[in-house]
Amino acid sequence: MASEAAVFGRLTGWLAPAREADWDALYAEQLPRVYNFFRYRVGDGAIAEDLTSATFEKAWRSRHRYRRDLAAFGTWLLVIARNVATDHYRRRRDHAPIEAAAEVAGGPGPEELYERSADLERLGRLLATLPERERELVALKYGADMTNRAIARLTGLSESNVGTILHRTVAGLRAGWEEGAR
Amino acid sequence: MTDDRFLEKLRRDPDPKFARELRDALRADERPAPARAFRLAPALSAAAAAAVVASLFLFPSVRVSAEALLDLFRVRNFAPVRVDSERMELLHSKDLGLETMLSKNVEKLEEPGPPVQVASPQAAATQAGMSVAVPSLLPRGLALDSVCVGGEAAARLTVDAARLRSVLETLDIRDLDVPGSLDGARVEVRTHPVVVQRYAHEKWVASLVQARSPEVALPAGVDLAQLGEMGLRILGVDPAQARRLARSLDWHTTLLVPVPSNATEFRSVQVRGHNGLLITTAGSEKGATGERGRTDRPGVIVMWSDGDRVYGLMGNLPSMEMMEIAESVQ
Repeated sequence: MASEAAVFGRLTGWLAPAREADWDALYAEQLPRVYNFFRYRVGDGAIAEDLTSATFEKAWRSRHRYRRDLAAFGTWLLVIARNVATDHYRRRRDHAPIEAAAEVAGGPGPEELYERSADLERLGRLLATLPERERELVALKYGADMTNRAIARLTGLSESNVGTILHRTVAGLRAGWEEGAR
Repeated sequence: MTDDRFLEKLRRDPDPKFARELRDALRADERPAPARAFRLAPALSAAAAAAVVASLFLFPSVRVSAEALLDLFRVRNFAPVRVDSERMELLHSKDLGLETMLSKNVEKLEEPGPPVQVASPQAAATQAGMSVAVPSLLPRGLALDSVCVGGEAAARLTVDAARLRSVLETLDIRDLDVPGSLDGARVEVRTHPVVVQRYAHEKWVASLVQARSPEVALPAGVDLAQLGEMGLRILGVDPAQARRLARSLDWHTTLLVPVPSNATEFRSVQVRGHNGLLITTAGSEKGATGERGRTDRPGVIVMWSDGDRVYGLMGNLPSMEMMEIAESVQ
C-alpha cells in the first residue's frame, strides 16, 4: 500500500524484487498517459513513441530509487516526461515543430480514417502554434489526463493560473478549430 | 464553458506492438540496482530517501563524536512531519539522490547483499544475529506468510559543501548557509540487519519490521539543528516550520517520520509502555480515468521503539487491532 511504502520503503527497499510484478500493472496504466502527453506535446506519432520510450527507460533505470508510493508514480513519470520533452526541443531548435499526428495509424475504416486524419492534422497544426507553456499545459490536461490541481503541483503554477491559461488556450484553439472547419 | 471535446481527438492508445516491444526492452534491461549501502540507511523513511542531509536526521543514532555513548542516541520519540511529495519527485527527477547530493565520493564499507528469505523468525534471528520479536496476537486469521532478512550495510562519504550549496540553489533555498566547516567532513552511515515478517489471511495483511537503530557518525562540532533545518527544507517543509522543528527537536532521540500524503490521522501512542506513532491513511477514489482513476487502499502504520530496537507494523486491519498486535510483540 502507498502508506506502507511511504514510511518503510527505504528501509525495506531490498524487498523490491517481490513487488516487481507491480511494474506490469503500472506500465499498462501509465503508458497511454505518457504516450498521449507526448502526442499533444510534440505531435508526431513516431517521435511520441521515441520520447515515451526514453521516459520509461529513464524511469526503469531509476526504479530502485522509487519509493513505491504508487499514488505518486504517475506524477513522477510525467516529471521525467516533461524533462524529456524539454531536451527534445532543445536538441531540435532548428526544426519546425511537428506538422500533425496524421501519420498515426488508426483502426477505423477508410472513410473515417480519412476524416480523422484530417482532424488530426488540423489539430496538430493548431497545437503547433501554441507557445511552449500553453502547449505543455494542454498536453498534461488532454494527453496525460491530469486535473488542474495535479498540473499545478507539477508545474509550480497556481491551480487558478492553470485554469485560466487552459481556458484561454482552449478558447483560442476552439476558434481556430471552427474556423478551419468552414 | 468552452467546449473542449475536439481536443480529445488526438488521444490514441499506443500501438500494441510498440507497447509490447518497449515493455520487453525494459524487462530485458534487468540490471541489478546499485549497491544498497544507503538504501537501508535512512531508517523508517522513504520520502526523504533522496535527500542526504535530511536522511541523516530521519533516525536519531547520530554520533557527534567517536566518544559519544551509543545509548544516548536511541529512538525514544517520534515526530511526524509532512513532506512535499512533489519536492521529492523533483529531487528524483534531477537525480539528486543520496549518493549525489552531498558528495561524489562515496565509499562502500560493507554491502548488504541481497535479501534472504528464511523459513521462520528463529531462522531470521540466526541470519540477522539478533533476537527477533514476534506478535502473539494475530486477529482475523492472520498467519505467517514470509520472513525476510536484509543485511548490514555501511558507507562513508566525504561532504562537498559546494555541491550542497548548489542543491539548495537548485531548490531555490537561498536563506540557509552551508557551513564551510562541513566541507571535507567524513560521514559514516551504518545500518544493521532488518527483519520483516509478513502475516496474511485473505485480504488482511500485516507486516512487522524490526531492526536496531542505524547509526550516523558525524565529525565533532557539527550543528545538528542547523543541518536538520537544511534537511527539512530540502524535504519541502516550509521555512518557519522547519526552523521551529529543527530547534525544538532532540535530534539524538527523535525519529523524524515523513507522513504519507494520504494520511488522515497521526497521533502519539504508547506501545508496551514506549512512545510510538500511529498513522492512518485513507483510500482514495478519484474517478474513472487517469489520475482520477486510482484507488488506494486504506492502511495503518504503528511505529515504536523498545531499547535499541525500532519496530514498525503496517497493515490494513483497523487501527485498534493493529495496536493490539503491536502490544503483543515480544
